Amino acid sequence: MNTSGRLFSTFLFSPIGIVYLLFLLAPIGFFLSMSLFRYDAFELYVPALTTENFERVLTDGYYQEIIFRTLKIAFLTSLFSLLLGYPLAYFLARSRTQWRGILMFLVIAPLMSGIIVRTYGWIVLLGSDGAVNKTLISIGLIDQPVQILNTETAVLLALVHILMPYMVFPLFSSLASQDPDVERAAGTLGAGRIRTFLEVTLPLSRTGILMGSALVFTLSAGSVVTPALLGGKDVQMLGQQIYDLVLTTLNWPLASAVAFVLVLCQFSIIALYFRGGRHGPA
Amino acid sequence: MTQEPVLEIRDVVKQYGDVRALGPVGISVREGEFLTLLGPSGCGKTTTLHIIAGLTNPTEGSVSMKGRDITALEPPQRDMGLVFQNYALFPHKTVFDNVAFGLRMRRVPKPEIKERVERVLEVVGLPGIGSRYPSELSGGQRQRVAVARAVVIEPSILLLDEPLSNLDAVLRKRMRLDLRNIQQRLGITTIFVTHDQDEAFEMSDRVILMNKGGIEQSGPPEEMYDRPESRFAAEFIGEANLVAGEVVEVGQGELKVKVAEAIFTAPAGKMTVAQGDRVTVMVRPERVEVSKTPISGGNTLQGKVSSRVFSGDQVSLTMRVTEDLELLCSKPSTALYRGFDIGDPVWISADDCWVLPRVDTRKGGAA
Repeated sequence: MNTSGRLFSTFLFSPIGIVYLLFLLAPIGFFLSMSLFRYDAFELYVPALTTENFERVLTDGYYQEIIFRTLKIAFLTSLFSLLLGYPLAYFLARSRTQWRGILMFLVIAPLMSGIIVRTYGWIVLLGSDGAVNKTLISIGLIDQPVQILNTETAVLLALVHILMPYMVFPLFSSLASQDPDVERAAGTLGAGRIRTFLEVTLPLSRTGILMGSALVFTLSAGSVVTPALLGGKDVQMLGQQIYDLVLTTLNWPLASAVAFVLVLCQFSIIALYFRGGRHGPA
Repeated sequence: MTQEPVLEIRDVVKQYGDVRALGPVGISVREGEFLTLLGPSGCGKTTTLHIIAGLTNPTEGSVSMKGRDITALEPPQRDMGLVFQNYALFPHKTVFDNVAFGLRMRRVPKPEIKERVERVLEVVGLPGIGSRYPSELSGGQRQRVAVARAVVIEPSILLLDEPLSNLDAVLRKRMRLDLRNIQQRLGITTIFVTHDQDEAFEMSDRVILMNKGGIEQSGPPEEMYDRPESRFAAEFIGEANLVAGEVVEVGQGELKVKVAEAIFTAPAGKMTVAQGDRVTVMVRPERVEVSKTPISGGNTLQGKVSSRVFSGDQVSLTMRVTEDLELLCSKPSTALYRGFDIGDPVWISADDCWVLPRVDTRKGGAA
């Protein structure tokens, strides 16, 4: 590329570059330095370099458990979103039905109501006299209402529901961009439907799988409202911890260290996914 | 030709809602034959190929292979290799794995897979590229890999769906010969779909010309060219002077047709005509003889050169005979034919002519 071309592309990148610099990199720099300060009950923090915040986050059993739970829930959310979203994305990408537009709309629909509203909706459904328990009792599957609210299951259920579009759309676009003749070719060469799926369709949708999983993983790892409302005090995740530390405990250095650990987890997962995505020239 | 056909499709119809895309058509294919389905886009040739491969189900009719009805079989159960127009190679697999795919599906032992893949890559002229990915190959190489992948499983029939249309002109010409050579070396029965008449003629033992979901005509290339049965066939294949005429005498295997003021004698062909019928007389441009000196006898007309196009190896002369009758003549650009200028009076003879119906009737047909 010549100099003017490079100048031009710099120009194209500059608006988003400035936004990122001001609202992403600067805050990260800010809380990174904050995480190295010492907490002080009267002055909030004193700018003295210390690693005590990180030591506490990484060695304290309380935080270890929360980090582990956050990663577990984020992993399970992306796994279940993938398992549920893949057939849907496949159907949307392959079918010629006139309902496709409506189905697409239904996939996006969860994004159109606010997160609080959706979460309260789940509370109504999952409560001990909610629709789920009532149905299970009326069909005789259980006698007593089961505890769903304030469990990891409730958090997982709601996260999968809310984050589904972020899984379905990358999957859809990678499936829809596949040449349908490639699947047909596998068929004429003797591969049945299952073999064709495993040998051709699935590997060719890897980009979509990685993209969707990375999105859902990072979004669920950073979720605050859903675990707070549906998980209660028993299902603490990193997001709420940061929220509490910043607004209630007012321990900003510790909050920053927790936030840093969370961001690090998300980045390393994304890096891992995209290393997987680079393998082979597919 | 008494031998049982390898493949036979009978009364096949494909209907999309109210629209009939194909049929009813019947085709039977002989062992080792290179058969071409030729026709303009939308004529039903690709639909026919997909029905043979099992990618499309016919609305009516049957497909049988070596006497066994395979109409209801899925593609994996049919013994056919298909080369797609865009090759449809597996982008995430190496050339070796692409070619080996069909053998793996057939549970061929590994050492044998390796041997057969290497041998077939040799046959298509691409030894030693097994470790590359399709994205690293040129168009011509991809095309050969697609052929290798389809033939390595030794299918009873090889199906080729416009496999040359994505290549540039020079490569396309070379690949025609290469494909034909590969086919002959393997002795594999082949059905080739194309809209390109040159491809069809250069490669095939037999051509089936399709139009509007039906079969217009079928036969060896020479027969198709010399004895078209319809105006469509005459015009789609090569160039043709189509001239209005009227039958004046029906003789033994011969017709006398009045064209302008002249009487043309033409072979009778398969057409049944009576005296007074209005017909079309076809003369291929390279079979028109022109002279600056008077020619006498039958099949001759007199006219003037109205245009002259020199295109290197050829000279094309257009000659006006009457107000609404022009004839095209193309000749090798030897000194003999360069000497004609616009306005020159010329005598034209067309001994090698052929009579067609004036209007085409809609066809279904079998071949």
